[in-house]
Amino acid sequence: MQKDTIIMAFESSCDETSVAVIKNGKEIMSNIIATQIKSHQRFGGVVPEVASRHHVEQITYCIDLAMEEANVTYDDLDAVAVTYGPGLVGSLLIGIMAAKTIAFAHNLPLIPVNHLAGHIYSAQFVTDLQYPFMSLLVSGGHTEIVLVKAPGEFETLGDTRDDAVGEAYDKIGRVLGLQYPAGKTVDQMSAKGNDVYDFPRAMVKEDNLDFSFSGIKSAFINKVHNAEQKNEELNQNDLAASFQAAVLDILSNKLFRAVEKNPVKQIVVAGGVAANQGLRNRLAKDIKDKNLDIELVFPPLRLCGDNAAMIGAIAQIQYEKGDFSGLDLNSDPSLDF
Amino acid sequence: MKVLAFDTSNKLSSIAIVENQLSLAEINTDDKLTHSINLLPNIQKLLDDTDLDLSDIDRVVVAQGPGSYTGLRIAVTVAKTLAYTLEKELVGISSLKLLAANAKEGHISVALMDARNDNVFAGVYQSKDGSLDNLIEDQHVSIYDLLDKLKSYREEEIDFVNVSDNLLEIIKEAMPKANILDYANSKPDAVKLAKLGEIEPPVADVNTFVPTYLRVTQAEYDWLQKDNHTENGNISYVEEI
Repeated sequence: MQKDTIIMAFESSCDETSVAVIKNGKEIMSNIIATQIKSHQRFGGVVPEVASRHHVEQITYCIDLAMEEANVTYDDLDAVAVTYGPGLVGSLLIGIMAAKTIAFAHNLPLIPVNHLAGHIYSAQFVTDLQYPFMSLLVSGGHTEIVLVKAPGEFETLGDTRDDAVGEAYDKIGRVLGLQYPAGKTVDQMSAKGNDVYDFPRAMVKEDNLDFSFSGIKSAFINKVHNAEQKNEELNQNDLAASFQAAVLDILSNKLFRAVEKNPVKQIVVAGGVAANQGLRNRLAKDIKDKNLDIELVFPPLRLCGDNAAMIGAIAQIQYEKGDFSGLDLNSDPSLDF
Repeated sequence: MKVLAFDTSNKLSSIAIVENQLSLAEINTDDKLTHSINLLPNIQKLLDDTDLDLSDIDRVVVAQGPGSYTGLRIAVTVAKTLAYTLEKELVGISSLKLLAANAKEGHISVALMDARNDNVFAGVYQSKDGSLDNLIEDQHVSIYDLLDKLKSYREEEIDFVNVSDNLLEIIKEAMPKANILDYANSKPDAVKLAKLGEIEPPVADVNTFVPTYLRVTQAEYDWLQKDNHTENGNISYVEEI
């Protein structure tokens, strides 16, 4: 029998401080997540300096809880993994410095992890991944279609040209007077409304897999402002439903075009927007309507947002490949595949 | 007692291992953008040079601030994580006190960091019998207000430490007889940091140890100004989910 591999993973790229202990890349022994959402709600969005300060406050508490919950000692650990990008530089640095220090203090190898790869591999906790598979990565900072050709081998097929999809939700949420982050509320409102405003489906006719969400956001804001000037009352649920319908059409269109060109057995949807119920229903319906033999994989809600468990999942693959870093590891805020 | 001390509060960094007040090894660098890259490899190098293991270190002393926010967080995160994970003692020393340690014995030592727009981070200390007494607590203040507060001291006995070009003329005009230490004598020295830290009690709870920024963030300042918001303690803003 092969020996178990136990990895301690760190994630601090935005406004969650998270430390996890993961066995063999598949079993979550612990996954401590300290979220700063209440703090940034004061400002209507993440303020980088405030985020960095919270990370320093939280970091050793998270390590302590993660070790305790997993019931492991440092002798049980085989490696330390950490997100080194993309993300906010000041935030990334706290996880990086703490992870490097733990690796240094206990003589453990250090694994540098791409945050986006982590999101995709959150699916490893719910299913056995079959290569190649397609992934749709949707969050407040990213909107990408990524083909995963083999373990740890990624090819970006499509990316956003402007706003990330989650960012667009937050921006139109502000116009609707919703609290940051607005995605969940817009999703709930749209279930009660209808697509009556027909917002533009940007770039769906173009022969590429890239996205644009700034146009739909502007159309939404114009619609609301024009109505205000004319003293017209718009149905808030219909506004949300119209926005979400346009977003889902765009995501679905590009995702299934990617699948047409690159046949796969699995589609992994990851990132914070993967929690969106409308998106879950829509993609399931598309697969059924198109009669595709594809398993649609959504991570559990807790693993959709930023967390260190997903970092431990991809780190296992890097561990097996010997993909390690020195103590001079630095952040790479604009890291891509 | 073996002490590992380091400071990355500003552009210069200094790291040292000190035993019983004697320096065993020290590394000083002058490269602001690489503290995150170099701090741990340099600690490793010091350990290699002294043939020591991290487990031999009894206490970690870190310059806690004020200074560059990112620089402070780099040093403080390493210091608190080291102390936490190896169950070592941890001491934080004011980064201004560390600079003040460069002044002459008996003199009034005014340690400065230029915070732009004629503002400074400043702390006023006096060295007596090898220790530094704090006369005016560390603060973020207008250079003009600070110079007002210094009027009660004899100019000739004041040493200004770490004076930027911008501040030089202002200080010279207000206090022509005061001493202004040159660049070479204004550097942070981790050997001094270790000595300052050796005589302080270690922090009771490593987990709550954070940099001393001496300024709220702009976003929080603006938020507190409007709608009568009040601060209710940072910790409640973060919750485990």
